[in-house]
Order: sequence, then structure tokens, then C-alpha cells
Amino acid sequence: MANLSTNFRIAFRSLIQHRRRAMFLGGAIGAVTALLVLLNGLSTGVHEAMEHTATTLSSGHVNVGGFFKISGGQSAPVVTNYEPVLKVVKEKVPELAFTVQRGRGWAKLVSDSGSMQAGINGVDIRNEPAFKDVLRIVHGNIDDLAQPGTILVFEDQLKKLDVKIGDAITISAQTTRGVANTIDCRVVAIAKDVGLMSKWNVYVPIETLRALYQLGPNTTGAIHIHLKPNAQPHATQIAARLRSDLEKAGYKMMDADPRAFWMKFETVNREPWTGQKLDVTTWEDELSFLTWTLQLLVVLKTLLLVILIAIVITGIMNTMWIAIRERTREIGTLRAIGMQRRGILSMFLYESLLLGLGSAVAGAVVGSVVAAGLNALQISVPGTMQFFLMSDHLHLSVHGGAVVGAVVMLTILTGLAALYPSFRAARLRPIEAMSHFG
Amino acid sequence: MTNRTALGGRQAALVLGRRALVAGGFLSALSALAAPSTARAAMTKEQMVELLKAVDDRQNSSGDWHSHFYMEQKEKDKVDVVYEGEVYRRSEDQKFVIVFDKPKASQGQGYLRIDKNLWFYDPAVGKWERRTERERIGGTNSRRSDFDESRLHIEYDPEDNGEQKLGAYTAEAMTLKGKPGLDLAFPVVKLWVDKDTKNILKRQEFALSGRLLRTSYYPKWKKAYSESKKGDAWFPEEIRFFDEVEKANSTLILIKEVDFRPLPGNLFTKAWLESKSR
Repeated sequence: MANLSTNFRIAFRSLIQHRRRAMFLGGAIGAVTALLVLLNGLSTGVHEAMEHTATTLSSGHVNVGGFFKISGGQSAPVVTNYEPVLKVVKEKVPELAFTVQRGRGWAKLVSDSGSMQAGINGVDIRNEPAFKDVLRIVHGNIDDLAQPGTILVFEDQLKKLDVKIGDAITISAQTTRGVANTIDCRVVAIAKDVGLMSKWNVYVPIETLRALYQLGPNTTGAIHIHLKPNAQPHATQIAARLRSDLEKAGYKMMDADPRAFWMKFETVNREPWTGQKLDVTTWEDELSFLTWTLQLLVVLKTLLLVILIAIVITGIMNTMWIAIRERTREIGTLRAIGMQRRGILSMFLYESLLLGLGSAVAGAVVGSVVAAGLNALQISVPGTMQFFLMSDHLHLSVHGGAVVGAVVMLTILTGLAALYPSFRAARLRPIEAMSHFG
Repeated sequence: MTNRTALGGRQAALVLGRRALVAGGFLSALSALAAPSTARAAMTKEQMVELLKAVDDRQNSSGDWHSHFYMEQKEKDKVDVVYEGEVYRRSEDQKFVIVFDKPKASQGQGYLRIDKNLWFYDPAVGKWERRTERERIGGTNSRRSDFDESRLHIEYDPEDNGEQKLGAYTAEAMTLKGKPGLDLAFPVVKLWVDKDTKNILKRQEFALSGRLLRTSYYPKWKKAYSESKKGDAWFPEEIRFFDEVEKANSTLILIKEVDFRPLPGNLFTKAWLESKSR
């Protein structure tokens, strides 16, 4: 123990003595740690924003949807007689926080100035408090969406529709029986864009959606299951379990397919079955067309870090080689006065670990402070970035666990980089080391 | 009884062109001189409703209606299109049919209103589509209600805007707000009614946002004797619509050959409209 303490003290003093070199190397390690914290914060921020937005606007953490087919080639994305299904969900998913039911559809919107195709979402605004928190209303009143024949649109859609509060939009769609139907809706709210979601989504009261598609009151588009916070990371497992439970309860289930419901029409229409089949998906399935951006971000982040870490490791190894060369006579003297090889090894290892730990902690602190500063500045992101970020400003989500992980990883990497040079230093023979000139 | 000989497309264009010249003076007078004039005591709500009822009653035939119509649609950067067709309606149960005879591309297309639902039929696809009262008939600036009986006092709540001069005419001006729960082409309408005749001179139609969508002029009114009403029924022989959103677009409608004789019961059916294109 005493040896350990002595070696540790020597390592610390050595760092102080060679402070220029230590500061240069430590700066590099700290910068990489700060970058790691920031990049992690960015990808976590995007992931969280995507999850939060998606699980409020278009999906639950887990969804029970499905298709009803009147004939082999004609399907509608509805769950008929949904209440018994909801009962099974409530019984079999103890992780459930709350559920909402949503209507789904795809229709043509026609205003007095233009038209566009859009996804129609039927909401019961009185029972969706989170919905109001996510959307930022720039004109009108979101609570008016409780009145039948009303509609919420996004700012981006105004380019095509050119409507104001009070203007009418005609929605035209095919009912489940293939009849073209039309309804008029009054614009009651215009919301700020939420990235890609606002490109093609509009919201109407669920009764209005039922009127458009001529659906009964016991038919819905999907049951959105919102999970308790600690269960949210396990959505995939819960979805698989629920799929099995619904099958046991006697419901016909679709094969697991991790895609958004609207991407399944072609597949479903090709299949020969008729009637109702249920489908269980997670929010990531419903946003599979978007999560590639997240995966791309993670890949880029990993690639960048691998390059930076490789540079840092090379730097540490080189610096250690130089240090060992400079301190060869010191190593010889220490060996001559009785320090064992293990002591030399641990001394150099402690030195690099100390350097790694100190620098990583400093880098993590700097990274966290910069992230907090960026969040406080509410930096607006360009439109193309909003498209993917689902947010109009940059948000970095820095979690304690991720920061500790970054510090531990950089410290270990620094130690590993120093392992081989330290081992070589420990193997030096005292007589050769003492007679070394350089 | 009017002559039922259908005019050809060329003749229709000539009629529409001549009418345009005649109406020009009327429209410029109406559009230039809408200004408050003589002061009078504000009308009560009841008086306004009575006035609207008088406007409606004057036009209603209280029975069946058949007329021929020509419709000219002018759109920016597009060739003018002249439509020709028939309108059938029944006051009793508010049934209504429009069927196009010309141009050839629209032949057999039609609208049927039964049970307060408006249906569009296109023989090219052989399908029925349910539409709302906002539907632009044949893609023009006209709406179904422009061809139907006037039901202003039933569909709207009036507000008095005083007496105004419209060119040589003295008009009762009012703002009509659509009653809730009704499927209306326009939720807010400003109306100018000729004080002497109770004929509509001009309408401005708005969205609830206050945006002006369309201005309509009624330069020529005509009357015909209705047996079912046991009196004269007035109808606008000419209506001009100006699109206020797409400023260059306008529509002219001429209503001809009005006939109040009873219509067959099977006329207001999907089968009848489908048979017109066979």
C-alpha cells in the first residue's frame, strides 16, 4: 500500500514537473472528452426530441393499430370495436401510464387558394393534455379543436393552403367502402412547425375524421399506449409481449413489421385475407422513415470519435516514449535504489491515468457547460435541420451517466495507450538505464 | 312558357358576349358607387328577417323548377370555357340536379342533392362522390346554391348595414352570418337588396376569417308565372361572379328557358343522372 502511495506521488510530481507536456496532452484529451460529451448530448437531444414529438403527435410508445379489409385488395387503417382491445391492453400492460385513441387517414385538403395531400389525424383534444404542450400555437386556439368540423394546420402548410383562422378547408378522402367523401373544416389553430411531422400532418377532431371516413363510434385508427418513464426504453419488448397477449386473447395479428402504418398498405392489399387484423408497433417503427437520420448521426459521431481517439492514443504513446527516453536515467536510478519493475510500470501507468482522469473531468465539465450555454441561447436551426430535428432550436441533452461514461472511457483509453511504453520502461536494465545519455 | 330550343356552343358564346356588354354599365355603376346614402332608422332583427323572407319568397316557385343554363368560365392564362346544362329542383324536399350537356368533356357530369347531401357523378369513372356546398360547380366560381331557391332567412342571421346607394339604385345593405350547423357555401355574406323591387343587386361572400372570397352581381332579373305558386317567381337571368382570391377569374351564368311544370319523381335519383350519360 505504501509502495502504491509512493508510486502515485512520484507520478503526480512527474506530471507537475513536466507540466508543459502534461498540459498539451491533457488539453487534447480534455478537448476530445468535451467533444464526446457534446456529440452525445446532440444525438441524445435529437433522439429525445424525436421521441417526445413523435409520441405526442403521431404515435404512442407502443401502438395497437391494424387494418380492416372489406375485400382482398381494399384496406383501411382502422381498429373496429376497439374497446375490448383497449381492455386487453389495460390488463396486460402494467407499465402503461395512459392511452389515447387516434384516427388515421390520408386525404386531399382544398382551400380557396390551393390544395395538398396530407395525413389526417383525429384527436380528442380534451383528453390529450400532452398534445397542447408539444405544439406551439402561433394563431388561434387549440382548444377549439374540440368543436366538430375544425382543423389544426402547421405554418409550413400555409405556403400551399394560404389560410387564416376561420377559413374553410375541404377535406376529400375515400371511405373504407371506397366512396369519395368530403367535409368542410374551419381552421381554428395554426401551429409552429415541428420538422418533418408538420410537412404532411393535420389534426381534426376524431368525430370529424369518423364523419369523413364514415366510421362508427366504436372504430378508431390506433390505440396509442404511453408508458411510464422507466418502461419507455423497453417499448420493443413490451410491444412483442402485447402482440402475443392479443393473439392469446383471440385477435388475428399481422406479422411484425417495423414500418410506419402507411408504408404497409401495399403489403396488406396484396394479402388475401379479409376482416380485421391488429398490428402492434413501437414509436420507432412508426418513425422508421425518420430514425435513419438518428442512425446516421450516431455513425458520424462514432466515426469522428474513433478518428479523434486514434489521434489522442498515438499522441499519448509518442509522448510517453519521449518521456521514457528523457527519464531513462531516472528509471535506472529508481531501479538501482530498489524499485521493482512493477513499480516502474505502475508509476508510468498512474501518471497517464492521472493525466487522463484530470483532463477528461475538465473536458467533461467544459463540454457540459458549453452544452448548457448552447441550450440557454436557444439557437435556431436552419429549416432543413428542423426537418430532421423536429425542433426549431438546437437542444443538447447531457445526462450524468453519459458524462461519467465519457470520463471513464477516455481515462481507460489513456491508460491503455500508456501500457506498452510503461511496460517497455519497466523492462529496462538498471545499469543500461543509468548509463544512458540522451 | 319559354322556348326550349337549345343553343349551340357558338350561339351560347355570342349570347354571353352580348350580355357582357349590356351588363358592363350595370356592374361598373354597382361596383363604383357603393356608398352610404339616406339616413334611416336602423332596422330591427325582425324587420331584417322579414326583408330576407321577402327576398326569398319573391324568388321561390313553391314547386318544381327546370331551367337551361349557360356558364362561361374565365381563368387566368387559360382558354375560356362555356358550359351548358340543365338544372332541376323541387322545393318540397329541396332535391336538386344539375347535369352538364356541354362541353363534351363534361357531358353527363352532374350533381344530385338528396337528403341534404350533395353528390357528384362523373360518367368517365362511373363513380359518385359526396361533396359539400363549397364545391365549385364544374370547377367554376359558382356554387350549387347559386342555382337553387333562395333560403337566406332560413340559413343566415342578418345585421343591418343601413341604406346605401348602388349607382342609380337604393339598396338595403346587410351582413348575413350563417346559422350554426348548416352546410353553407359561404359563412358570411354581405348583401345589397334593391329597396324598391327586393331583388338582390350584389353579394360579397366572405370566409369566417373575414377574407373576401367572391363578389357576385345580379344585373338582370326576370319573372315567370308559376302555377304551383299561383303567382310570379323571380329569377336572376344573369349572374356574374368575380373570384376575389384569384383575381383574374370570373364566371358568368345565364339562366334560360325556366319551366315550372311538375317533374317526374324518378328524376332526383342517382339512376336517372347515370342514365343521362348512357
